[in-house]
Amino acid sequence: MSDATLPVVDAESQPASRLTRWRGLRLSTGARCASPVALFMALGFLAPLITVIGFAFATPRTFAVFKSFTLQNFAEIFDPADTVWMSFAWSLALAFATVVVLLVICYPIAYGLVRVFGRWSALISIAFVFPLFISENVRLYGWTLFFINHGVLDGLLQEIGLSAPDVLFSPAITLFGMVYTYLSFMLFPMTLGLSMVPGDLIEAARDFGASRLMIWREIELPLAMPGILIGALLTFVLAAGAVAEAKILGGQSVIMISHDIEIAFTYSQNWPRGSALAVLLMIVIAGLSMTLMARLDLDRILGRR
Amino acid sequence: MTHFNRRDALKILGAGALATSGALAFPGAAFAARDKEMNILCWEGYNSAQVLDPFREKEGATVKAESLTNDPTMINRLRSGEIKVWDLINVNNPWARKIMYPEKLIKPLPKDVFMPFFDKMLPQFHPPYKWAMSDDGSELLGMTQRFGPYSFVVNTKKISRKTAEETGWDLFNDPSLAGKYGILESDDWNVFNIFLVAGIDPFKTHTPEEMKTFSDTALKVFKGARVIGDIATMNQALVSGEIDLHLTGGTYSVSPARADGFPEMRAITPLKGPMNGKGGVSWIEVTSTVNNPNLSPLAVEFLKYVQDPKVAHTVAFAEGTFNPVAQMGNKACFDLFTKDELDAIQWDSLEEEMARSVEYDIVPDYEKALDLMNNAKRQRS
Repeated sequence: MSDATLPVVDAESQPASRLTRWRGLRLSTGARCASPVALFMALGFLAPLITVIGFAFATPRTFAVFKSFTLQNFAEIFDPADTVWMSFAWSLALAFATVVVLLVICYPIAYGLVRVFGRWSALISIAFVFPLFISENVRLYGWTLFFINHGVLDGLLQEIGLSAPDVLFSPAITLFGMVYTYLSFMLFPMTLGLSMVPGDLIEAARDFGASRLMIWREIELPLAMPGILIGALLTFVLAAGAVAEAKILGGQSVIMISHDIEIAFTYSQNWPRGSALAVLLMIVIAGLSMTLMARLDLDRILGRR
Repeated sequence: MTHFNRRDALKILGAGALATSGALAFPGAAFAARDKEMNILCWEGYNSAQVLDPFREKEGATVKAESLTNDPTMINRLRSGEIKVWDLINVNNPWARKIMYPEKLIKPLPKDVFMPFFDKMLPQFHPPYKWAMSDDGSELLGMTQRFGPYSFVVNTKKISRKTAEETGWDLFNDPSLAGKYGILESDDWNVFNIFLVAGIDPFKTHTPEEMKTFSDTALKVFKGARVIGDIATMNQALVSGEIDLHLTGGTYSVSPARADGFPEMRAITPLKGPMNGKGGVSWIEVTSTVNNPNLSPLAVEFLKYVQDPKVAHTVAFAEGTFNPVAQMGNKACFDLFTKDELDAIQWDSLEEEMARSVEYDIVPDYEKALDLMNNAKRQRS
């Protein structure tokens, strides 16, 4: 093709208003380069999310997504005869308990990794990371074998004439499983947070006569708070959606909300109900997270003002 | 060593994008390539390497299989538009005849090719076999293979086979057994079985009073359960002594434990029950060709392949669960089963247990019953 075939357009000859509008719509080089990724994200992230939201308002037990609109799925969920609120309550309560237990367990470990263990810190960190390379289900089945009747614990205790406590298939063991599974997700952000506390500042406070409690409360905790908060939030969000611990270790002694969503999509074949539950879970988690973040003024914690 | 610069990388990306858009723009081109690929939606077993690898080698084909553990999910995958994806679907007996064929989700098989295979199957499958045929009996809708009774499982060292068979579903009404039984996570079957524990035939439309009884029974049964879990959990709990029996179970679920050296774990079919006197429920898998607009020709070949005595034996003992197969009616297939394998699938009582069972059917008010059962399950905490 020769250039002669192309129409020659003289930009100067275009009306000024059209040219200005065109310039206004032009994307910057960075935006244009990012557009394939943005498109990919829109397709891969937003499309399924919008579909789930669409299904939540579809006629129950149909596939009429974007073709029907009803609030019936939500009405059924909020019907007092429907006990699904119990699943929400268990999921949120166990997620909250997991965060509290992990805050208590992880703080001393994180402190040790940053200030005590020295050159052993890396090795200890690897010990905490290593289980993550093994499937969560396999690890939980491992714990079942440990706690089960005539299992590892029971067998060992029988050697000394004792028997293992009956802990399996209970809400308490579900909480244990969740604490075990999400430990790393709390520990490492917390460790990062504590490592951001300057040692000089603590020494200075000590030189000025601050007690250990005062140093912890006035310096260490506020400065490590971004890491602690991120760890708590990450753990809470993951734990609220947990299901394997209640199924494998807990023997479904409690039904978690993710399990209810799974049942709606499988045995019930009620995708609109499953989607409505998923939307509600997203709203509850996002609402709680945003309320927490708003109250805790991250900017101040991060020292930006 | 080849060095790529940015221009080369862009060319490759461009070529990839063109290829992708080409495949989308000209689906006919993709259709043409399907003679070397096949997709199966099935229960576990048919997706195992022991079954699929020899077929892959024989045909030089790419065979993908997805295993699910309940029929409604598989049927709805087709309903939601996946008939363009799958070539074969393997589900329990009523779905082909009552749901999938009327909804045009599957297509009939050539009778002249496949009917002769039924002659060699166990007597109860001889042609015309009800669940393989369309309602009017004119079309062959699928091939049968695995089957079995599926009611409940007991540890016979704790509860004798005789007591379990005679007491039947009332075992789960016995307060002294509360906390000593498990429930297999198989909710469609649990709906049947809660009805049976309540003394009600599951496979009919139920009155409000019957539904109330069902709901009350579900509450009681779930409250009394020590554990709810999958097959591995049930067998592990039986072997360790955590439970003495579990509801919803049969040769399909207990055969791995029996094969592992625990013959005291036994699938039980009650002697009597509320289904015209019968107390047990059995299942028979039917594998059908999906009404895929571009069905792989390998689908039909695969159905012929699994009729081979050796392959049928492999299917019976594929990973996960062990089951009798209809092809055991062929001596060449039956002779491949060892004594231990026959023990694992309870061959000694199979015929009488199938005779005491009604065949899996669709519960007309399943959705309502399932909702009531899920409500009861949540209240066990």
